Amino acid sequence: MKSSYRGVILLALILFASIVCTQYTVNMYLAQRYMEVLLLSGATVVLFPLAWMVLRKDQRDRREQGK
Amino acid sequence: MENEKTRPIPLKDDNYTHNINRSNERSLDRRSFMKTMVGAAGLFAASTLPWGALAAKELMSSSSKSYPTQKIANLSDIKPGDAIEFAYPGEHDSALFVYVKEKEYKAYQNACTHLRCPVFWDRDEKELLCPCHHGKFDIATGNPLAGPPRRPLPEIVLQEKDGAVYAVGVKKYEEQL
Repeated sequence: MKSSYRGVILLALILFASIVCTQYTVNMYLAQRYMEVLLLSGATVVLFPLAWMVLRKDQRDRREQGK
Repeated sequence: MENEKTRPIPLKDDNYTHNINRSNERSLDRRSFMKTMVGAAGLFAASTLPWGALAAKELMSSSSKSYPTQKIANLSDIKPGDAIEFAYPGEHDSALFVYVKEKEYKAYQNACTHLRCPVFWDRDEKELLCPCHHGKFDIATGNPLAGPPRRPLPEIVLQEKDGAVYAVGVKKYEEQL
């Protein structure tokens, strides 16, 4: 796979996971399953630095490739 | 002939319908697109924090949660098939008491679990009906029967004492499911 696609696809997957986790966080809160709420909101928070790292790595790779 | 690069408005934009010429107005390059995605992920992360805080608060206080005892009605004043709207546990938490038949009554918080529309008692069909999107709930369990809602209505614990019905608590979902 071309490296130019890898970052975009990874970020799209991370964003998709963020959306799903956020939706489930709210649903689980309304269903009063509070432990799941904590786990899911934790997962959403962890996904953000992951997305940040993917962006940084992508930018670094492109700089090295001279693009 | 006029040079395309020195023209104040590029020739391709010099028309009445597509003549907006702002810098990068129509371009979202790869890097901006990725930054937008990271920003959106950050936004989602931040938006879950209040829910997490509320859940943590609920987890810490769940053992000490107590509900008031509130009289709903005297059983002699109502007939089977009747429904009474009341507020429980808070003054803004609308609830519905239904005298289903002799010796059988149920009460639920009557905000539909889809979009929180008020739920009504359909006496003929013997179902709880949300008129907004035709959601229906089972009167015996509070479980959704039809329409968009997926979660049951929170059930209110009732107690009969001296010919009157009292609300004494709200069942947790784990106990209902």
